[in-house]
Order: sequence, then structure tokens, then C-alpha cells
Amino acid sequence: MARSPVILRIFAMLASVMTAGALILWPLPAGSDEVASAIRRYKSQEVSTGYYEEFEVLPRRNRPFVEVTGVQGGIIEYSPSAAKVRSRTHLADSHAGLDFYEFKTCQSCHPEQAEDLHTQRANLTCRQCHGGEPIASIQHYNSPMNPIRKHAYVCAKCHEGANASFGGYIVHAPAPGSDAARKNFPLLYATYWFMTLLLVGTLAFFIPHSFLTGLRELFAREKEVENEDESTH
Amino acid sequence: MKTKARINRFNVIDRLFHLSLMITFLLQTATGFSRLYIGTVWGRKVNSVVGGYEGSLQLHKWVGVAMILGFVLHSVYLLTRIKWRTPLKSILGEDSLIPNFKDLKHFGQQVRWIFGLGPPPRFDRWTYWEKFDYWAVYWGLPLLAATGLMLMYPLATSRLLPGWSLNIAALLHEAEAILAVTYIFIVHFFIGHLRPSSFPMNEAMFAGSIPLEAAAEEKPAWVARLRSERRVPEEGPAAPGRWYRVAYFVFGYAALSCGVYFLINGLLYARHISLH
Repeated sequence: MARSPVILRIFAMLASVMTAGALILWPLPAGSDEVASAIRRYKSQEVSTGYYEEFEVLPRRNRPFVEVTGVQGGIIEYSPSAAKVRSRTHLADSHAGLDFYEFKTCQSCHPEQAEDLHTQRANLTCRQCHGGEPIASIQHYNSPMNPIRKHAYVCAKCHEGANASFGGYIVHAPAPGSDAARKNFPLLYATYWFMTLLLVGTLAFFIPHSFLTGLRELFAREKEVENEDESTH
Repeated sequence: MKTKARINRFNVIDRLFHLSLMITFLLQTATGFSRLYIGTVWGRKVNSVVGGYEGSLQLHKWVGVAMILGFVLHSVYLLTRIKWRTPLKSILGEDSLIPNFKDLKHFGQQVRWIFGLGPPPRFDRWTYWEKFDYWAVYWGLPLLAATGLMLMYPLATSRLLPGWSLNIAALLHEAEAILAVTYIFIVHFFIGHLRPSSFPMNEAMFAGSIPLEAAAEEKPAWVARLRSERRVPEEGPAAPGRWYRVAYFVFGYAALSCGVYFLINGLLYARHISLH
């Protein structure tokens, strides 16, 4: 059996390794990675759960002819779930396209947001946390307000050592008894109504109870005084 | 026949606990509520007296810590009050502040008596509203302490709990404070001062003892029980001295006026608070 030249053996080895490598690394056909939701799947490229939130990845480019409610007009509409993601909470410029934006103050559109402790008590202005123009949406990937870095970029400016959980404090909490709280902060809503009922219940019981007891004691005393008078005469 | 015999109602330690609770409670009301009302003219005025926006918070925190210490001390003291040889009888008996079925019965009798449908209930050592007074503080203070400590150490709290728990803590602290203040300044003050049987002031908590006759009228079952156990002395403790009486009347009425002042102004200015 004739021995093949060394150069041929090396060539065969290289060819098989490269073929195997190519087979492993060959990209999957485009159709098999079809994605229809706002959650990006990177399963084919990374070893992880493969699920990413919008704020963890670069934003998709703006698509022309696609209508985004309140942001841009177009021919094609997003699905309701996709439109939610393209809402103002996820934009690089959260106020993009608003008419006469330059002539408005923050509070002319967000009066509710000025009734919290940070504004009312610490006398903070909106821009001390939300930054200058353009104000990025709080969920935009590059925004200092993005939950992945808010504690370090915003909270820690005053609250030294703030961690991500600390950043979970709801600065602009809805009025605790309101309908907004029932939808967005049910525990706050429940706490408020529980404590209100406790207050009203306690007072509704004890105020009449004490007052009537006092009144009754007054009558009982009058009777005693009358009896004493009669016995002395 | 009128006698001068008196009967002990609160010992020195009980009275000191009540006195320190009065002082700390009023200080917390002044510092806390003036901060809550800082957006109003009245709130700013009161707040400037108790140390200003930052100073009043420092005072509030230190007094709060003192209250927590008082609560712990009181709980230890409670344990020493239990007669450990007969623990069940001591905890559930008539000298205990634990509510029992008799309180429910007394409440029914009290309602019937108020409307002239029956004789007044024969109370033992504690009436059911006195028991409520006691336990209201006993559950309110830990709640205020826990939420207060959470707000005092927000970073440590957020390491153990999610950040939004601070929203809940702040709401609970405020709501429980409003509940405590309205209850004390309306119900407790009415019972202690304005009720015909205590007007102008129920002195038991300061003098420590009350005349035996008054005790027999207010708490007939208690005095009868003591008599049957032969635990009523001929003379009993001495009546409080004149100047001591003057002192506690002045102090009591000063505390009362503080409370009424906060209650009325608090109600008047409530709608001007700009927070929600």
C-alpha cells in the first residue's frame, strides 16, 4: 500500500477540520429564527436565557411609514403589543414631535409629578434627575433613568451607596387612594384604604361611645344629687 | 360615712412609663406633624420651634429611638408582672389587661345602661376601653418603630426589601401617626378629663392612688374582690401632696392644650398639604 505524501495527509486533516467547523458555525437559515415580538432572542449567538428586555439592547431604528401613536404618523401600524414598546417610555427623545414643546414647562403637562417628596420637600427640579434636552425616556437603553443604572447615575447623586433595589423606590407614586394607585401600585392602594378604614372605624366607634358614656354619667350624677337633696330635707 | 381611705391604682414604674410616653408622644407629634404640614404657614411656624426642617427630623429620630427603648423596657417589665407560679391565672385573670369574654359582656351592659335599659356594668380592675387604650399603644408603637427604622435606614432596608417597600413604610408611618394622634387627642383626653366622673382630671395616673369610694363606684367588682381577699388596707397610701397636685394639674393641662392645639390646627390646615 503506497504511502500518500505527507503534504496530502496534512491537507486532508485540514479539510476535514474546516468542514466540521463550517458545519458547526454555519448560520441557521433565516426562517428558523423568526421573531414576532419585542423581546429579542439571541439564543443562536449567546449562551444565556436568550431573552432580553428592551432596555438591555440597542434600540431598533425608526422605521419609516410605520405609525407610532403619539410619536409619528405612517401607513403601517404596529401591533398593540409592539406599539406599547415603541411608546414614549422607550424613546431616545421622549418628547420627540410634540407641538410647541419649547414653550412648555414640565409641569404644564405633568402636574401630578410635582407632588412628591423630592419636589415638594427636597426642592429638586425636574432636570436635576431627568437631565437636559433631549430628555431620554426612562426605559431607553442609554438613559441615566434606565433601571439598570438609575441607582448609580441618579439616586446616588444624593443617596450615597444607593443600590438597584433602592432605585426601586417609586418617586412619583400615585396618590395612594386613587384609581391610578389601584392599577399601578395595588399594595399602596390597599394599605391606604386599610388604614383609612381603621381610622374611621376606631373613631366612629369610640367617639360616640365616650360621648354617650359621659352624657349618661351626667344624668346619673344629677339623679344622685336630687336623691341627696331629698334625703336632707 | 365618708372615709379618707385610698387604694393604689398605678405604681411608680407605671406612672413613669406613662409620663415618658406623654412627653415623647407630644414631641413626636410636634416634630412629625410640623414636618408633614411644612408647606403650610402653621406647620412652618411650629417647625421653627422644634428645630427647623433638618433639626426637627434629628429630634424625631432620637425621640423615636428613646420610644423604642421604652417599649423594650416596658415589655421586660410586663414579663416581671406575671406571677410565674400561676402563669395562666395571672395572664388571663382579672388583674390582667388581656381582653376576655367579660369585656364583651360589659360592653353589652354598658350600651344597655347608656340607653337606660339596665344597671351599669360592674367593672373589675380594667374597663374594656382602658384595655383598648393600652393595646392600641402596644400595637401602634411597634408599627411606627418598624416603619420609622425603615425610613431612617433606607439603604439597609432596600438591601433586604424591594425599594418600593419604602413607599409603603412612609404611608403606614403617616397613617398610623394620624390614627394615634386623633385617638389620643379626642377619645383618650375626653375620657381622662371631660367625662363627668373624671372632670377636671382623672388623677389616678399621676397620684398613683384613688379614693376607695371612687374606686368602689367605678370598679365595684375590683374593690369587692380585694375586700374578699382582705387586701384593702384601713388607710392605704397617702393622698398626694398639695404642690405635687398643683404640678401635675399644670403639667396635665399643658399636655392637654398641646394636644388640642395640634388637633384643631391639624384639621384646619389638612387641606393645604401639597403632598399626595
